[in-house]
Amino acid sequence: MATDHRRLDSIRDGSSELENHYIDELVAGRVSRRDFMRKGAVIGMSSTLMGAVLAACGGANSVSSSSSKSSGAAPAATKGGTLKLATQAPSAAVNPLTVSDAGGLCMLAQTGEFLAFDDNQALQLKPMLATAWKPTKNGTVWTFSLRQGVKFHDGSPLTADDVVYTMQQLADPKNASNALSTFTSVLKPDGVQKVDASTVAFHLEAANGNFPYLVSSDNYNAIIVPKGTDFGKWQSTFIGTGPFKLKSYTQNVGANFVANPSYWGGAPHLDSTAFTFYSSQQPQILALQGGTVDVIVQFVVQGAQSLINSSQYNIISLKSANHRELSMRNDMAPFTDPRVRQAIALSLDRPGMVQALLAGKGVLGNDSPFSPKFPSTNTTVPQRAQDLAKAKQLLSAAGHANGFSTTLTTEEYEEIPALAQVIAEAASKIGVKIKLKVENQTSYYGKSTYGNSDWLDAIMSLVDYGDRGVPNVFLEAPLTSNGPWNAARFKNKTYDGLVKQYVAAVDLQTQKTLAGKIENLLLQETPIVIPYFIDGLTATTSKVHGVNPTSIAAIYLKDAYKSA
Amino acid sequence: MTTFILKRIGLGLITLWILSLIVFFAAQILPGDPARAILGPLAAPSAVKSLSHQLGTDKPVIEQYWTWITHFVTGDPGMSYQYQAPIGPLLTRALGNSLKLAAVAFILVVPLGILGGVIAALNVGKPLDRVLSVVGLSAVVIPELVSGIVLILIFGIWLNVLPISAAAPPGASIGTQVYHLILPAIPLVLILFGYIQQMARAGTVEALASDYARTATLKGLPRGVMIRRHVLRNSLLPTITVIATQTGYLIGGLVLVETLFHYNGIGSLIYNAATNKDFPMLEAGVLTIGVVYMVATLIADTLYSLLNPRIRYRGLE
Repeated sequence: MATDHRRLDSIRDGSSELENHYIDELVAGRVSRRDFMRKGAVIGMSSTLMGAVLAACGGANSVSSSSSKSSGAAPAATKGGTLKLATQAPSAAVNPLTVSDAGGLCMLAQTGEFLAFDDNQALQLKPMLATAWKPTKNGTVWTFSLRQGVKFHDGSPLTADDVVYTMQQLADPKNASNALSTFTSVLKPDGVQKVDASTVAFHLEAANGNFPYLVSSDNYNAIIVPKGTDFGKWQSTFIGTGPFKLKSYTQNVGANFVANPSYWGGAPHLDSTAFTFYSSQQPQILALQGGTVDVIVQFVVQGAQSLINSSQYNIISLKSANHRELSMRNDMAPFTDPRVRQAIALSLDRPGMVQALLAGKGVLGNDSPFSPKFPSTNTTVPQRAQDLAKAKQLLSAAGHANGFSTTLTTEEYEEIPALAQVIAEAASKIGVKIKLKVENQTSYYGKSTYGNSDWLDAIMSLVDYGDRGVPNVFLEAPLTSNGPWNAARFKNKTYDGLVKQYVAAVDLQTQKTLAGKIENLLLQETPIVIPYFIDGLTATTSKVHGVNPTSIAAIYLKDAYKSA
Repeated sequence: MTTFILKRIGLGLITLWILSLIVFFAAQILPGDPARAILGPLAAPSAVKSLSHQLGTDKPVIEQYWTWITHFVTGDPGMSYQYQAPIGPLLTRALGNSLKLAAVAFILVVPLGILGGVIAALNVGKPLDRVLSVVGLSAVVIPELVSGIVLILIFGIWLNVLPISAAAPPGASIGTQVYHLILPAIPLVLILFGYIQQMARAGTVEALASDYARTATLKGLPRGVMIRRHVLRNSLLPTITVIATQTGYLIGGLVLVETLFHYNGIGSLIYNAATNKDFPMLEAGVLTIGVVYMVATLIADTLYSLLNPRIRYRGLE
């Protein structure tokens, strides 16, 4: 397909330096069309502009996103009705500052909206309450233009003051804000500044090429609320800007929402939605089978085989960065020797694990947090596979020809105890005897600080990490020398330097190159083992269409409807 | 009688106070802290510290207990740490739900159990007696989780005749509410039937063999009248005690049934509160169960004395 250089040149004239860099990368074939769309969205290129560029480069736009993910041919949208959903009960107050659990963040996303929306299946960051965003050349200041004409559910208009208030509260170390784990050493409250009534600038503490993700739906605490909102009382009103408004919320029981006719994006198809809260998965499955609910917002494979194997239900399966991390204390014998850590990693039959533990709903991990879903992941790095002979050889070279005994500490959560069992069996094949210690989550995490947590202190520890839109948190907290969750006590100056560069990099090609170096370094050192990444699963009856779940257990229902 | 009841209430209050102490200090031994439970394991330490301060859980343990109990005795159970909402409405709703479920289970199991016991006693040693005993005792050992799932699969999904959620839609009539509670009540009936049936059987067998029963038969009373008037009245005394001791279980110990049938009872409320170290909620829940338990025992003792004049006259006054 021919490239229309004249059209491209005219586009280039009106574009910024960074945008032109990407256009060059695309024309040169160094960036795929898919990556161009995704990365372009991060640096704030409009979809019209990206569409024009792609058209000029030949061929139709092949990266159109599909709004409906329900499988099967969807009939025309039916208006009205109530969609009934089963979800995990919020484990605490629905307070945008403090929410940390799947049930709570699912509630936030019903009425609240973010500056940007990470539709990670469409592979791009989409505008939500912000229509456009631009970084300065070095990525330390990001400016967001707000959507005009957006109204909160109480009728007040959305302005820069509301955004500044929300973000300052989230980034304030004096508040009990869960967004602090994202904003610490990235954004301070006084870094959020109003430029004019519809423009907000974020002055960062250090360059960050992926900053828009940190104020997107990816950072689920970051819904925009009106200026002056008392976060502790938010659960009595749920005031946001979204397509549904709160009708009623009852702790431990459920929540009802009604359509917001004056939603900026047009009224939703449904009249209302009704969420029922459950404390465990099995009753949710029974409720779907018995017709009490139409949708299970999120479920795991364990105990749900009947749903997965049935043709009666649509299973929406989303690629995610949700994973399990096996850490080995780099400062404790025998794991001080990288050959021992590599041997453990080489003993695992990863494809077998994905089949047996996840019913195939997952992808192989390569002992680094770079999930295949991230555009920056360098897929040229070879996948680690089971190699028992090499593993034994490495153990032997490290002076453990007859193996050794150790303990693996882990938590009672989803398939993790079974995974620990599989790891112990695999290790026994190379002569390593692993004793399992499975604890409840409270005992396992303890105070989540060094010296007060089995998670962080055990010689071998197996933990869960939820999905994120960018790998930054996974790369920093558990692996950098000063990271707060470094259960492996991995301390490597080269690694720290590479991660710093990666986080600051604004363009995708640089990110990819650095990702490749990080992936190779982690394979070489193997401080941690990541056997697989787990798909996010949502189940609906065959009559439900247009639901848009995310892999962090939120679900967006603006385009949802039920057919007769 | 009044002195008896007043004495019992006085003793009950002391028991409740000791219970509140035990719950509070036992909860301190459990791992974890409330702020960490709310914010999740990955929250920043500064956020946890700030929330602990807001909740007051960073204060000395004795001070926390004092603040709580001084409010509690004035009728203010306080705010739930976990839900950031007043405890009163949360607890009332859960207790109401638990009482409804317990009532349905009671109404089903008490007559069935007594009837089963009397029929077995009247047929001592015959096949009917053995069948009733074996069935009753086997049912006692089936965990609620197992019987519950089987029942849901059969009646809720396969036959689709009974709702699988114990919670009726909001504003439903009493009839609909009971309809929703039938399926969840059956596992409880299965567990309790064996106890009550065996107690009723033993009591009836003993009473039937007594002198007064023989006298009644010999003086020519019809068998039905003899059983009703002389045998049942005596044989049911131990049964009433058994029923009363099961009240605590029926109101507060149904975490599994409540979870399976998706019902917001006080059992799961207490369980959640304990897991999340939501101390004010835990105290309020446990003390409520304590009160229910005491009231049930008091009613049982009163009934016992009304049915058995010996106790009323000699033991109590």
